[in-house]
Parts: sequence; structure tokens; C-alpha cells
Amino acid sequence: MSILYFLIPIAILLVTVAVVVFFWAVKSGQFEDLERHGTSILFEEDDVKQEKQHKEKDEH
Amino acid sequence: MHCYHCHQEVTEPQRYTTEVLGEMRQMCCPGCQAVAEAIVANGLEDYYKFRTEPASRADEKMLQTTLDKLSLYDQPELQEEFVTSDAEHNTIQLSVEGISCAACAWLIEKKLSVIPGIVQVGVNVSARRALVRWQQNRINLSDILAAIEKLGYHALPFQPQQHEEQFKQTSQSFLKRLGLSGLMTMQVMMIAFALYFGLFGNLDDDIRIFLHWVSLLLTLPVVLISGAGFYRGAIRALRAGSVNMDVPITVAIWALFIASAKATVLEQGEVFFESVCMFIFLLLISRYLEHKSRHQAALISANMSQYVPVTARVIQDGKTTDCLAKTLKPGQVVLVRSGETIPVDAIVTEGKSYVDESMLTGEFSPVVKQSGDRVFGGTINQHSALTLEVSRPLKEALVNQIIRLQDQAMLSKPAISQLADKVARYFVFAVLIIAALTYGFWYWQDNPDAFWIMAAVLVATCPCALGLATPSALTCAMASLNHRGVLLKRADLLEVITRVDQVAFDKTGTLTQGRFSLNGIHNLSDEPDAQLLSRAASLEHYSEHPIARAFDPYPGEYSVSAITTQPGYGLSGEIEGCCYRLGSARMMRHAVPESLGECNVFLENDLQLLGAFSITDSLREEAPASLEQLNFCEKLIISGDIQQNVDAVASQLGIEHCYAQCTPEQKLQHLTTLQQQGHVVMMVGDGINDTPVMAAADVSVAVGGATDLAKNAADIILVTPSLALLPELFKMARKTRRKIIQNMAWALGYNLSVLPLAVAGFLTPWMGVIGMSVSSILVVGNSVRLLTKRSSS
Repeated sequence: MSILYFLIPIAILLVTVAVVVFFWAVKSGQFEDLERHGTSILFEEDDVKQEKQHKEKDEH
Repeated sequence: MHCYHCHQEVTEPQRYTTEVLGEMRQMCCPGCQAVAEAIVANGLEDYYKFRTEPASRADEKMLQTTLDKLSLYDQPELQEEFVTSDAEHNTIQLSVEGISCAACAWLIEKKLSVIPGIVQVGVNVSARRALVRWQQNRINLSDILAAIEKLGYHALPFQPQQHEEQFKQTSQSFLKRLGLSGLMTMQVMMIAFALYFGLFGNLDDDIRIFLHWVSLLLTLPVVLISGAGFYRGAIRALRAGSVNMDVPITVAIWALFIASAKATVLEQGEVFFESVCMFIFLLLISRYLEHKSRHQAALISANMSQYVPVTARVIQDGKTTDCLAKTLKPGQVVLVRSGETIPVDAIVTEGKSYVDESMLTGEFSPVVKQSGDRVFGGTINQHSALTLEVSRPLKEALVNQIIRLQDQAMLSKPAISQLADKVARYFVFAVLIIAALTYGFWYWQDNPDAFWIMAAVLVATCPCALGLATPSALTCAMASLNHRGVLLKRADLLEVITRVDQVAFDKTGTLTQGRFSLNGIHNLSDEPDAQLLSRAASLEHYSEHPIARAFDPYPGEYSVSAITTQPGYGLSGEIEGCCYRLGSARMMRHAVPESLGECNVFLENDLQLLGAFSITDSLREEAPASLEQLNFCEKLIISGDIQQNVDAVASQLGIEHCYAQCTPEQKLQHLTTLQQQGHVVMMVGDGINDTPVMAAADVSVAVGGATDLAKNAADIILVTPSLALLPELFKMARKTRRKIIQNMAWALGYNLSVLPLAVAGFLTPWMGVIGMSVSSILVVGNSVRLLTKRSSS
């Protein structure tokens, strides 16, 4: 059972990571609009122009 | 046959068609056709594939006039109020009307993102807003608005309300606390299960103590961070000398936590960390639900305060220059052309015209204004150009005075006392006293578990389900109503609606359609009716008078020449070489028989009187049936129109009490008198003149097509212009109240039945937590039933 002394701290570490990620997600507004993004996968992103714009945006 | 775009009835099949997704589709009007074509031409057909709601109907005429006005938004003085700019980019928040599902957001984003100069578009479906960033040297704001307009949506800049930012922050912190407690609760529960099995024996002491410490560590952030809101609430209540639900919650959390921590440190006794975590987690869910429904309502009402700038054309030294209405000073001379909005309160110095003052008085019959008459800001000049001298700056304009009256009236609005609050107060007192007595009794009996029994009492009687009872029912009812086209700004209004015993209606635009329509024809000629009507319609095409619009649905097949208009009387023109006169009885050269007293428009030629038309503002089609369904409360009319017209409508609808010729102040007085007599009054209106009385009413409803100001003042907005939604609203409110009472009965019943068990010491805290969770889930499940389709029919 001594493996628990090793596994549980790892679990705690992972939960901490999860909490940090969750806080980041809330802060960056990922939960602002729950209706919208559930369906966004259905729409095709075939527009080359738009992808370019996305890249431009990243560079800013 | 239904329009492919907006799902409304198609009246002319095969007339408007567009190929969408490989098939020819029928449209109802050129507006919808244009929008559908624009969508297809941009390769955005996916919209139709994945949308879940029909689009709103596109109006072609409206589209053109809106597009013309958009260039106003490019003026830098205007932009500084709502555009934030950095070195390269401008950013603006737009409220977008017409967004109904995720496909709309995709459509707008996709269309805008390919326009050069637009850097970023983000559409939020639940808030119905869009955030747009663009390069100011490459594209104008008006072009962006026009692009959205062409897709069939209306986008306008708006001024977010101040408390909105605060709302958003609370929302985020709620979510963080909820997520934190959720994640931690999962871990603690997992360990708790190991410990439960440990109860049966095979768990080393070392491991057990280790698990206790781990649980303590994981519970710590939940108690300190996630639970913080409850402690603050409790302290606030205690400082104010009262108790609320937060008080026993705080006591229960800390009692359990300290006792468990003590047991962990001293390595003896039981721990209940999982109970603490679960408790906080469930409570946070209920609070979050409540907050979210309020947030949603606040967002929607903020969207109503759209910013529509008013500009003016100032004449100075013989030259005209454009400026913003708010910069006008008394004494300046302004020119207002036909069809334009009069910017401020002023006095006419030159010209004669009809002015549509319906936005102020609620009455749509235009008023004749000539030299020396007063005109008011916000009204519309309908006929010919007027030169005005500004008499008051915009701040003191009549519109703004009415707004101030509305603000004052808002303060006198009766406060809503919530059922749950009242119940909770007594309940909390009882719980605290019983817990204390239990502890005292068992301590006196020398029971070593006295403390745990008290903790179990607090947990078992936790008003968690009680706390969920109201918000969960209200949230579901709001969502259900929202879906049917009733927007509620505050959920707690549903409780007030059930107590309404008087419903006051405005007349024009609320009970009636708010525009003239043809009611009857008296044909005195030997021509068929259709031909007579066609002659009249041909002539009326040249008139700006609102009565003339009653003839719009009829085809005018004749060409008219030599038209002369006489404001206040009517017009004359030549058809096929014969002179015709159309207008009021005063204009007719032939005698009008008395039997035609109800008619108000007449047609004659040089030889004889040809016909008479009765043109009135007719009732909304659904009004009689809808009002009949409201038989459980008294109805009355408070109108600004003359007694005769009000009486006519009242007798048609069987309404006994009516007040006519009321100014906004008088309307307000009538209402406050009723309220002083102990009545709970609902006000249904649509105009600016209704806004003060709407603000003061216990509940106010703005019907579809109401002015923005009225929508702003109203608590409830009927999105579709149909009074039929009113009985539905009442029905839903009553159903919701029933649900709330059911929920409370269940929650209280459960609490009361486990109380004796807890007091007697048969219940451990973890059993209390499980019971509480099940009870909460039942309450939420019961509320969710409000959402089902069956309940809506």
C-alpha cells in the first residue's frame, strides 16, 4: 500500500494543474458563450483567406 | 407553404425564389430573398444546414432606409463615446438583433472576417452581441454595420450599463469557486470512499491518517476560497441585525471543518471532509444558477439601450452645416426636411407641415405645425421642410423630461418581497435554536458525540433544497418564456404577476394596431368597389398623411397628373382628364349625406360624390380573445387619446373603466391612486408617454414594436407583437408559483422529517449530506419540468 504515498501526491499535483487550467479558461472567457461553440465543429473552415487572417492576428 | 428563410407564410408562391443547398426555395418577400442570396453568394449555405431557429423576416424597405442612415455613425464625435482605439485598430461592442442560434453567429463571423480591414469578430449568442476590431484607415464603421444589416440582422452600438462589468466579474469568480469546489470534491469523495471501506477493517492506521491529512489539505481551499461568499453574506446579515440562509450554512461548514481538522490532528475521531466539500459544492450550484438568470436578464435589458444619434442641420450666415443635436443652443436656427427627426424642442419660424408626435403622445394622427407653433425633439416631420428656432437645449427637451419622470417613478416601484426570503428567515431561526438545544441536551447527557449530532442537525436541515426551490423554478420558467418570445428582465417578477388584480392598457399601438386601415367603403358611383378603391389609392400615393397608408395594400393603377395638396384637407389630381378630389368632408364641394357620419375620407369628381371610406385604427386581431382570457383580473384603459375613441375601443373589448386624454403625469397619477387602494397593477404599453407609468407599475409589459424607451422602462418585453402572449405569461407565472410551492413543501418536508432522526442522533453527517443531495436533485428535476413542451401547450 506504500505506493499510495507516491500516487496520491501525484493526484494532488494533477488536480492543482486542472484547477489552474480551469481558472485560466474562466479568465480568458471560455465560458462566456456556451451556446455557440458546441456547434462550431459542424461548420467547415475551408476559407484560406480567413486562416491567413488568423495568422496575422497571432502575430499582433 | 412557408418561407425558407424566416418560416413565415408565403403569400405569393413562385414569386421570390433562390437556390439554396441545391434546391429552389420559396421566400416570402424580396427582403428575405435578398438576404438568402447574399448568404449563398458568400458561400455560407452551411448556415441553413445547421441553424436550429428560423431567421427573422428581412424588410427590404427598412433595409434601404437603415443603410442610408448608417453613415452617421462615422462621425468622430459620435464614435468617441463607444469606440476604443489604439494605434492601428478600433474596437466596438455592437448589440445585434435577430441572432437566434449558433448558426447566426457563425454566419456573421464568417461574412465579416473576409472583409478587408476587419481584424477580429467575436459573436456572443447568449448575449446577442458582437465585438469587432477593425483598421480605421481601411474600412468605416458604417460599412461594417451595413454588412451585418445585409445579412438580415440589425447591429447598433450601445452603451453597456455600468453594473454590467461588475456582473461579469462576479460571474467569473462564481464559476472559479464552483469549478474549484467541484474538482476538489471529486478528490475528497474518492478518498472518502476508501475510508468508508476502511471502516470494515483492512486499512492500516498509517494510511488512514495519511488519507485524513490529504483530505484536510484538499478541503482547505474549498472552505477558504469557495465558501467565502457564504461567510461574507452571513457577516453582512448579522451586522444588519438579522439572519439569512448564510448564517446556518456558515456555522455548519465551520463546525464540520474544525471538528474534522481536530480529529485529524489528534489522530482520533471521525472526519467529514467530504460532507463539507459536497455541501459547499451543491450550494454553489444553486447560487450560480440564480446569478446566471439575473445576469442574462441584465444583458438583454442593456441591449435595449442602443445608441441612435440625432443630428441637426444648422443654418448660420446663410450656410447649412451638420452637427450633433446635443451641441445645439437656444436661439440657433435649424432646418428640418421632410421625413427627418426634429432634433430638439423648438419653435417653428418658417414653413407649414404635419408632425408625427406619436412617440411622445402615443397618438399617431399627425399634428399640423406652422409658424409660431412648438415642436418637440424626437418627433418626425412628415410633410415639408420646416425652419425652427431652438428653444431649449437637448438636455431639457420634453423627451428627456419624460425620462426623468420615469426615473423618479422607478424609485416608487413597490419592492418585491420574495416568498423564499420570508420562509427562510423563520426557518433559520428555528434551525439555529434546535441545533443549540440538541447540543445542550446531549452534552448534559454526557454523550461524547454531542458535537457530531449537532453537526448532523445543521447539515440535515440545511436549506440547500430550499435555496434551490425558487431560483431553479424561476430560471426554467424564464427560459421557457424566452423561447416563446417573452423577455423577462427580472425573474422574481413571476411571483408578482400571480398577484396582479388590475391590468391597465394603453390604447393606441397596444390594443390597436397603431396605424390606419380601411374599415368600410360606401360606394355612391356606378363603378365597382375595386375600381373606386384603385382611383383613391392612385391619388393617395402622392400623400404623406398617415391616413394615406391605409390605401397602400390596394393597387393604384391610374396615372395621376396635376396634383395639389392642401395640408389639413386632402389632395386633388387629374385622372384620365377628369379632376378628382380626395380628403375630409370639409374639402368636398358636393354635400355629404349625414348617413356617412362614420366615414372620414371622401372621393368626388366635378360631377358628384363618388364614395366614402371609413378609415380607423382597428383593434389588433388577437386583442378580444386574449383579453377575454384575462377574466380573472380587472382591465382598464389609460390613454392619451380623446374620450370618444377610447370609449369605442373599450366597448368593443368590454372594458368598463377608461381614462382618456391623459398626459404622462396624469397617467402616473391614475396608477398611483390604484396602487394606494391596494391593487397590484400591471401596465401594458408601447409609447414614450407610457414610460413613467410603466416604470411605476408593479409589473410593466412592452408590446412588440414599442419604442426603445418603452422597452427600457418595461420589466417584460413581448418580442412578437401579439397580445396573445399575455395570457400565456399569466399561466406560466401561476405554474411557476405552483412549482415553487411544491419545491418548498418537498424541501421543508424532507428537512422536518429527518430533523427528529438527526436530533435523536441516528443520523451521521454523511447521511445528512446524501439526503440533502437527493432532495436538491428532486427539486431541480421538478423545476426542469417547466421547460417541457407539454407544459407550453
